[in-house]
Amino acid sequence: MTETFEFWVSYLTNGRHLNWYASFQYTVIAALLGGAFALLFGIGGAALRNSSLPPLKLLGTIYINMVRGVPDVLFFIFFPLAFEQLVELVIAQSACPAGGGAGVWPPCPEANWFLGTGEYLLLASVSLGIVYGAFTANVISGALNSVPRGQLEAARAFGMTNWQVLSRVHIRQMWVYALPGLSNCWLLLIKATSLLSLLQITDIVRGANLLGAPNFSRTAGVIHGDWRWGYYLALLLFYILVTYLSEKAFAAITRWASRGMPMAERV
Amino acid sequence: MKKLIAVAAIAVALFSTAANAQAIRIGTEGAYEPWNYVNADGNLAGLDIDVMNELCKRTGLECTFVQTAWDTIIPNLNAGNYDVIAAGMSITDERKEAINFTADYSPPEASGFMMLESATVDPANLTGVKIGTQTGTIQDAYATENFATGNTLLTFDTASNALADLMAGNIDVILADSSYIDEAVANSGGALKTSDVTVAIGGGVGAGLRKADTELLAKLDEALAAAKADGTIDALIAKHFPTRKGPFYVN
Repeated sequence: MTETFEFWVSYLTNGRHLNWYASFQYTVIAALLGGAFALLFGIGGAALRNSSLPPLKLLGTIYINMVRGVPDVLFFIFFPLAFEQLVELVIAQSACPAGGGAGVWPPCPEANWFLGTGEYLLLASVSLGIVYGAFTANVISGALNSVPRGQLEAARAFGMTNWQVLSRVHIRQMWVYALPGLSNCWLLLIKATSLLSLLQITDIVRGANLLGAPNFSRTAGVIHGDWRWGYYLALLLFYILVTYLSEKAFAAITRWASRGMPMAERV
Repeated sequence: MKKLIAVAAIAVALFSTAANAQAIRIGTEGAYEPWNYVNADGNLAGLDIDVMNELCKRTGLECTFVQTAWDTIIPNLNAGNYDVIAAGMSITDERKEAINFTADYSPPEASGFMMLESATVDPANLTGVKIGTQTGTIQDAYATENFATGNTLLTFDTASNALADLMAGNIDVILADSSYIDEAVANSGGALKTSDVTVAIGGGVGAGLRKADTELLAKLDEALAAAKADGTIDALIAKHFPTRKGPFYVN
């Protein structure tokens, strides 16, 4: 590697690399959107599981136990495909002539739903949300049960309504117990964003693979051998940076959540 | 049910651009030089791209390219993710069962072997070696049929990943299109070599379409025949494959 500094600057800022840098947005969007969905599904799942109505409780328990056991890769390819075909099936009911197109999918061209990067990104985020929502639900449900009973009884003794107890005392104190578990879920979710290339998205992992693989074609740019290690190293550093920033953010949130809670601040 | 249909209709309207008869999507891999690849500027380039742009100009179709993985390129065509495959795809009877092809825009060419310069592999007599091909290519099928006994076969998702494993010594020889191998060997700075031994597989490269799209097929075939007759296709082949001796289509 005796190339000059100028060579590296121009190589690392050519169009192929700019495309790759731009693709980092997919990872960030999938993580943030997936995280938001996971929190939503998590709160929903925990609410179902702690519900006093047996059917809802069963539903919450099934969601939490079943989805946690399915490999995220499998769910990641299953959910978007199943959802796409379900939508196409529904459109086909009205758009397609009856009985046409045996053995082909979609049954007729009118029923085809085209999925581009944007749609796949949304479906990927929902998939991440469903999978990690199950873990989040378990964490939140555990945290709700960890709030000392005495706190809730004291709140009731002050004459608070059930809703006031829930919102002002129960959920307010729950965060301190949930945050360590939530931070685990978040980091697992970030790692799972490396699966985006399974959904036809040219994400950072696929991009690194394409850029780093040996190139012996004059027209495709700089001729080089196997440089994949360099690109994988860059991804490694990116994920470490994201982890570091996440830890900082969770530390700040924990400080915020435990204000006025001397018991929690000690831990 | 009515409500579901309405929701689905809104979803489709939001997510997809309105179906325009004049707009088609073309699926390509973008990782197989000099057929289709992403150039240093970050744009798709290669023979497949140039040929399709020429045909789109002649037919007045509005074409956009979609980059997609090679191993699922046919199922994704049939699923409607794009309307045409232009990815250096050889016309074979097996593929014809799943999709239709236009006439060829590149004539049949031999497949060759690529090895490290220091290798002592004899392509005419392959035994006890590790042979690499790209998954789902005609070479993959050929190797499975002819080299499976006595050798180890390995398939790779992209051609460049096979090349990386050849350089690292994980495989002994790559079986691929001669045009791809010639390009790689010529630019390897003496690290790679090929041999005179070649095998004839495949029947020319064409664009793939869904079985149902016969109207589009006729349109593209008509434009392709004209482009072949006036020498445009020959000029494009010469531009991307300096080593292939034309003209192929102009008498």
